[in-house]
Amino acid sequence: MKAGLTTSVVLHAAALGFGLLTLSAPAPLDAGSQESFPVDIVPMAEFAESVQGDKEAPVSETPAPVPTTRPEVMAEAQNVGDNDADLSTPQSEKPATREVEQAAAPPPSPDPTPTPAEAPEPAPEPTPEPTPAPEPTPAPEPTPAPEPAPAPEPTPAPEPAVEPEPAPQPAPQAEALPLPTSAPAPQMRPQPEPKPVETAKVEEKPKEPAKKPEEAKKPEKPKETAAASKPKSEEKTFDADEVAALLNKAASQGGGAKRSTETASLGGRKTTGAKLSQSEEGALRDQLASCWSLPAGAEGAEGLRTSVSFRLDPSGQLDGEPVVSSSSGNSAFDRSAVRAVQICNRQGLKVPASKSEVWASGVVVNFDPSEMF
Amino acid sequence: METLPMAATGHDMSIWGLFWQAGWVVKLVMIGLLAASVWTWAIVVDKVVSYNRMRAALNRFEQTFWSGQSLEELYRNLSDKNAVGMGAIFVAAMREWKKSFEKGARTPLGLQNRIDKAMDLALTREMERLESRLSFLATVGSAAPFIGLFGTVVGIMTSFQAIAGSSSTNLAVVAPGIAEALLATAIGLLAAIPAVIAYNKLSTDASKLSSRMEGFSDEFSAILSRQIDEKVVQRAAA
Repeated sequence: MKAGLTTSVVLHAAALGFGLLTLSAPAPLDAGSQESFPVDIVPMAEFAESVQGDKEAPVSETPAPVPTTRPEVMAEAQNVGDNDADLSTPQSEKPATREVEQAAAPPPSPDPTPTPAEAPEPAPEPTPEPTPAPEPTPAPEPTPAPEPAPAPEPTPAPEPAVEPEPAPQPAPQAEALPLPTSAPAPQMRPQPEPKPVETAKVEEKPKEPAKKPEEAKKPEKPKETAAASKPKSEEKTFDADEVAALLNKAASQGGGAKRSTETASLGGRKTTGAKLSQSEEGALRDQLASCWSLPAGAEGAEGLRTSVSFRLDPSGQLDGEPVVSSSSGNSAFDRSAVRAVQICNRQGLKVPASKSEVWASGVVVNFDPSEMF
Repeated sequence: METLPMAATGHDMSIWGLFWQAGWVVKLVMIGLLAASVWTWAIVVDKVVSYNRMRAALNRFEQTFWSGQSLEELYRNLSDKNAVGMGAIFVAAMREWKKSFEKGARTPLGLQNRIDKAMDLALTREMERLESRLSFLATVGSAAPFIGLFGTVVGIMTSFQAIAGSSSTNLAVVAPGIAEALLATAIGLLAAIPAVIAYNKLSTDASKLSSRMEGFSDEFSAILSRQIDEKVVQRAAA
């Protein structure tokens, strides 16, 4: 047994000695050579929120929108822009000026002009003239009365030279009566192109010489017709064309009325993702707390807590009913919180108009007696 | 690059360092397991040597026994020295035989019984000598892993307590304590595995040797029984 024990001890000593020598501290893992990555925690708000500014401008400490060019108009304006009205929509560039086609029809004007010019020269040709006159009649214009008159007028001027012919003329005149819808009115207007009023005068002038040689009846008719035509033409000029022109002049341009003079800083087209500041939240809470009266005799009201969400329109008025988003379990307590919002709305909530986006998207207020009183 | 915190704490990760930094319970467990391992190997070495010697003695005895040598002469040779194995059984049987016939005129009725008893006794004594201490191997083989595990659990407990104290979950803080604790299980397994293997081997060898000796004792008993019967017939004839 002694031999066995000694051999065993010797073997163990040898194994341990070998182990101590060879199995000494293992080489540490070479983890130090790995590069370390700097990790930043970036809040989402940095991307969701932006302040109005210039997309290419450098970042500056105080956010500022693009400087405006027009002087101050509204002192109490909230939105920066060149507009006269304080609109919350982002400012847009002026639309390029473009040709606006008017309702007046230029093509008919050349046609009639030659005919009157030619008309006086060929004296014997009056008869054919009335025939062309009816042709333009298809024009929808409802001013027939003056037309017949001018048509005969040019004819009479040359007529004095040829007296025997008047007999046939009345016939066309008579014919002209049934043709009141003819287009002579445009024929006359084109000559004094710019204004119909002048045309009327011009018409009268030629008429006067015509009257003298001719019978009194004929001129009377034209006068009446001319008088009738004048007011009608004036009415025309005032309705469609003028309104269209006025409309075109009003540039549809966004932006507010507040003026900016600072150099622009980096920002978006519009201020988005605004949040209420601590003081604004505090102000709102104070207002609601003043409107809030706890239900009488509510046991353990100190431990109750309810959340009410509501929205405000840009004018600061309640938009829709306040909703209990997280009930306290005590319906009387919840109702008192909703009532507080309604009472405050009736008294007029004082909220900063610049944060109208926040109000419009909804505000949640926690009603907690231990915090609000 | 900066040096790693693990290196900065100056933990000696060698085997000796791990042992020295362990708690006293873990140290005690490790020392105990080491002692058990030493004793296990001592037994293994001793048994292997003694079994070889026993096998050689059995072979030698069988050779001389079946060589046709006179049993009286063989008895005289063996009784002088300290016989082992079959020799011891043979000597015990012959001693009983001699005792019965030296007095003479004794009925050999109970002789067969007495000789068998003497041989059984000698065989049992031999077997006891062969199988002594084998049970220790069995115990080490089954209990050493648990003892090592106990050391590990205690070590990990203390290491977690240290983590709670330093309030840092850095791996560099946790690792040394766990490495220390695991050393206990390693030593436990180191002691248990050879013990189990050696126990199986040695117990098989012992049973082989014992069956050989039992065979011889049966054979010798048969020979003696024949002799007794012959003597009885001679006496009846005389």
